[in-house]
Amino acid sequence: MQDANTHACVQCDLLIKMPQNIEHRFKAVCPRCAHVITVGHLRARQVIAALSLTAIMVLVIACAFPFISFFANGQVRTIGLLQAIGELYLQGDYFVSLLVGMFILVCPLLYLLFLLTVIAGTVLSFSPATKARLVKVIIYVLPWSMAEVFLAGVLVALIKVIALADVTLEVSFWAYVVFAPLFTYIVTLADAHRLWMWVKLESTSK
Amino acid sequence: MNDSKGSNMYPKGTAAANGLVNCLVCYQLNIKQNSHCQGCGARIEVRIPNSVQITLSLLITSMLLYIPANIFPIMTTVVLGEETQSTIIGGVILFLDSESYLIASVIFIASIIIPLAKMTALAWLCYSVMFRHGIQQQELTILYRVTEFIGKWSMIDVFVVAILVALIQLGDLMSIKVGLAATAFALVVILTMISAQRFDTRLLWDKLG
Repeated sequence: MQDANTHACVQCDLLIKMPQNIEHRFKAVCPRCAHVITVGHLRARQVIAALSLTAIMVLVIACAFPFISFFANGQVRTIGLLQAIGELYLQGDYFVSLLVGMFILVCPLLYLLFLLTVIAGTVLSFSPATKARLVKVIIYVLPWSMAEVFLAGVLVALIKVIALADVTLEVSFWAYVVFAPLFTYIVTLADAHRLWMWVKLESTSK
Repeated sequence: MNDSKGSNMYPKGTAAANGLVNCLVCYQLNIKQNSHCQGCGARIEVRIPNSVQITLSLLITSMLLYIPANIFPIMTTVVLGEETQSTIIGGVILFLDSESYLIASVIFIASIIIPLAKMTALAWLCYSVMFRHGIQQQELTILYRVTEFIGKWSMIDVFVVAILVALIQLGDLMSIKVGLAATAFALVVILTMISAQRFDTRLLWDKLG
């Protein structure tokens, strides 16, 4: 009963024989509870590596440049993402600043860095134990990466601020507009099943 | 704990019925006798131990925190020394008054509808596992997936406040401060997210008998 291709559905525990190869863009779905186990992709590793690298660069841009400029009564205020988190901290809102920092920068960045390391590990033949440790962090960090939620929050806040003053959107804002959907797309490609396949890749192929 | 149950307690065709335990971290199948996963070393159990109790306890905590989240101001606006406090619902009403219906509905859905729907859904799932027979597994599993998916979207309001506070600091002219409700509300979101993660959907399917 138990072999390498037998898989138990995480959501309903049904034993499933997984196909050897899942064709490009075809979903492997649990026949009983319809849980999507993984989606086939021809060059998942290359695409995810390329997109992750792009996402990290965009995130660096988002951190390095000003986010929003704000003109009111002759005063100009320009603020960056890191500065915004620092401002919250200075005001004594430690918990909120910690949450914002973790959810919009630290967690997505850790996710992407570890993802890239795992992909590098499949090429550089890291031991499965090392890769397993990295993948565990990726999985723990994922639910707390809220790039797309933050972007929605920014848009709502903007509408509030526009009523009060003139607002200019700076480079960092546009970088984050690119980053959030890119990150979400990477997450859909790098499903947990695929990550664990990468962990086991070396031990089975060589 | 469910370890003591015999394999015949579980529906046919499941890992548990075949004396196997699925690792929830790396999806490696293990024999029931193992206490730790052979693939990744994580602790393994046939079903998440005390899943419903943990989900319920976190859920009740977040329900209690939802009260201060709505009573206390989520932010305080200071214009020329004059303080105005606004609660979550106050913010929605403010947007309605200024005829920003789209934004009003976004905040209303994210801060009020989603948390309440999530809490109701989790409570219903726990109730179904504990007391009901002949449940509709497929529908409840979909309910769970939706609950898990919408979880983090409630954070929108906390982010809005954070951005406004960071941006609008014009000294005496105008400034915004974070209110107590923002912390309470963030905790509500975090606790309901963990609560959903601890719920074991396989318990629903075990009821197939």
